[in-house]
Amino acid sequence: MPTFAIVILVVFSAVLAGVVVVRPALTVSRAGKILAFGVLFFLPLFSLVAGMENEMQRSESTAFCLSCHIMEPYGKSLHIDDPSYLAGAHYQNHRVPADEACYTCHTDYAMFGTFEAKLGGLRHLYIYYLGKPPLPQDIKLYKPFNNRECLHCHLGARSFEQGATHNADPATLPAIKANTLSCVSSGCHDTVHNVGRWGDKVKFWDGGS
Amino acid sequence: MSLEDSMARRLRISGIIVIIGLLVEALCLVWSKPIAFVVLVCIGGAMIGLGVLLFLYSLVTAPVPTADSSGAAHDKQ
Repeated sequence: MPTFAIVILVVFSAVLAGVVVVRPALTVSRAGKILAFGVLFFLPLFSLVAGMENEMQRSESTAFCLSCHIMEPYGKSLHIDDPSYLAGAHYQNHRVPADEACYTCHTDYAMFGTFEAKLGGLRHLYIYYLGKPPLPQDIKLYKPFNNRECLHCHLGARSFEQGATHNADPATLPAIKANTLSCVSSGCHDTVHNVGRWGDKVKFWDGGS
Repeated sequence: MSLEDSMARRLRISGIIVIIGLLVEALCLVWSKPIAFVVLVCIGGAMIGLGVLLFLYSLVTAPVPTADSSGAAHDKQ
């Protein structure tokens, strides 16, 4: 449901609840009782669930992640005009949805991955507002990046399965699939965001505009 | 204070709490900051939940119409 529709629903519910507040005597009649049940039970709960669902969806957007100042350099790294930068290459070539770029790579594609990602987000909020946030270049992943997240899209793809480097050694592909050889930290695709290590020569893509 | 007055009072209070919760939710929906979700759940959700619970409580403690009161209603008609 679009955000504006939920806002209209919420305001409508509040207005109807206001009617019951101003004239509680309405609830004496059967119709009044139904009205009271609707506006003080059903509509508020429905609005709350719709609002929370909307916020959950919004929390997956790239704009949401980049709305924290600490994430600005990471957002900027998506526009680096250099194909060796993994995050930028994926974002600019739409290998990940541009409006959900962060979430697509940084969620676990396991049973409770989405839930864990949301819990991680709450932890980030706590640190951002009540803790001592690190400098952008000092941010580290909680645990090593799992190849499962890469293979969610790349497994079975011709460029991955038949790539020359991946097949140079027969042990490489099975090791990648078993997550014993990391995609991003084994010296292969290790230039990801590289925040704080860009240097002066890095150029930025203008976003196609 | 009669039971009817007491129920009307509870309905008013629950309505006001629900309205505040809904307004907090509306503000959070148009406020595109990460903290908006937490405010929506912790303040908006808590107030809506509290208002709904108070409404349900007012229902279960509502005065039951007795034969006398229904008879009186018929007399008035």
